[in-house]
Amino acid sequence: MSKIILHVDFNSFFASVEQQANPFLRGKAIAITGKRGLKDMKHSIVATASVEAKRLGVKTPMPISEARRICPELILLHGDMRKYSEITKRLLSALKKNSDAVEQFSTDEAFADITSTAQDYFGATIVAQIIRNEIAKSCGKHCTVSIGVGPNKTIAKLASNSVKPNGLTIVQPQDVKAFLDSQPLGDVCGIGKATEKHLENLGISSFGTLRKANKQLLLNEFKTIAGSWLYDIARGISDDHVSEIVEDPKSIGHSYTFPHDLDSDVEIQTNLLALSDRVAYRLRRDGFSAGSISIFVRYSDFSANHAQLQTKEMVQDGLIIYKNAWAMIDKIRDTNKSIRLIGVSTSNLTKSDAPMSLFQKDKKMQRTLKAHDCIAVKFGQESISRASTMNTSFKERASGWHYDHEI
Amino acid sequence: MHEYLNDPIDVTVDFIGNKVRPKTVCWDNRVYKMKKVNLVHPTNEEGKSIFYFSVSDKANFMKLRLDTKNLEWRLVELYTDG
Repeated sequence: MSKIILHVDFNSFFASVEQQANPFLRGKAIAITGKRGLKDMKHSIVATASVEAKRLGVKTPMPISEARRICPELILLHGDMRKYSEITKRLLSALKKNSDAVEQFSTDEAFADITSTAQDYFGATIVAQIIRNEIAKSCGKHCTVSIGVGPNKTIAKLASNSVKPNGLTIVQPQDVKAFLDSQPLGDVCGIGKATEKHLENLGISSFGTLRKANKQLLLNEFKTIAGSWLYDIARGISDDHVSEIVEDPKSIGHSYTFPHDLDSDVEIQTNLLALSDRVAYRLRRDGFSAGSISIFVRYSDFSANHAQLQTKEMVQDGLIIYKNAWAMIDKIRDTNKSIRLIGVSTSNLTKSDAPMSLFQKDKKMQRTLKAHDCIAVKFGQESISRASTMNTSFKERASGWHYDHEI
Repeated sequence: MHEYLNDPIDVTVDFIGNKVRPKTVCWDNRVYKMKKVNLVHPTNEEGKSIFYFSVSDKANFMKLRLDTKNLEWRLVELYTDG
């Protein structure tokens, strides 16, 4: 029996939650800005626009200045990540109650394997309605979702995206090809702008033409994995495994776009140290040590630099990460430009604590870090920091799968 | 008008089952009778369990913060229609 996969996606997620919380925002064009407040919006973008704002041409991610020019009546709001994360939990809970397995795909969407709960596609329609009602009950009726059901994850996601807002689209196995032919090639998850352009150059602009393409041509043009995936998806074949296992990360990092551009060494150093401490805390908390450190710097003119190095020893200490990161930034940095964003990332992760040092000074630092971590676990990461980073503050964000306050 | 505040307030509540429902909010020497609880979300701040209540009457939206450790209520957001 082929699987029945359901995909749920909140409509205009952050904005819908705000409209649920505040009835005076309902029916109005609202936008949730990025992490910064409303006072300094030089770097702010529209993180989410309400359905009403989207109808007036506001898109994400759009600079606030442009969004206001298009839609002067646009109401701008701070994002409240803790509120949104609670709604994400309620979404996952509603799915878990009615399915065999749930896989979170981002903060506002998830897959569920409903094969045994639904039995068939008629049952799937009922399960989808039950899930929709459950979400409306637990999150509020203004937090609407679009649901797609299909034989695999790609078709289910394409189905949920095909009718927004508040859609329910069921694609049975025998209808997959006809459904694919009705959808733009670029709408499928996995075909980005570059792939779409590449396909277009090969004369492939629809699922119909992709289906006619020679497999060897796709393998040659897109390498084995991507070429094979394109060949299969044109026929509606894709991954149908909903995995609840969260795999170990390949890297742990933190990047931040600052509310104002950074110029002075001191400002860059203190923020870099604070970012490095955050990365190191997550390494220690999750039991990893890192063998590589990389940095990414974006300047005010949007040009960027990046660098990576292998460490001599496995690291878990923010100060060591910082020293290596600063050495790289100091070497590659264009001092004529202000810095807009800094990213610090660690990779080559090993599931182990950093080796115990033989030196008394290092042992003392390791004990200090352990005490730090106990405090951070109990009272939150913000509750303890180095004196030198006390003037730094990073606003909470949601990025992809995670909320900052949960990682 | 939309304001972010952090003002101490007095709140009377109903206990319905295992749920708390804010009924009136006394802020700035005025009493507001709340008509609807639109959303409640819990969170953890510095080891403390905090509940946020998004409530509204006919003209105002209020976000209330309840610190369960000292049972202190605060008005943290106010949106007045018009």
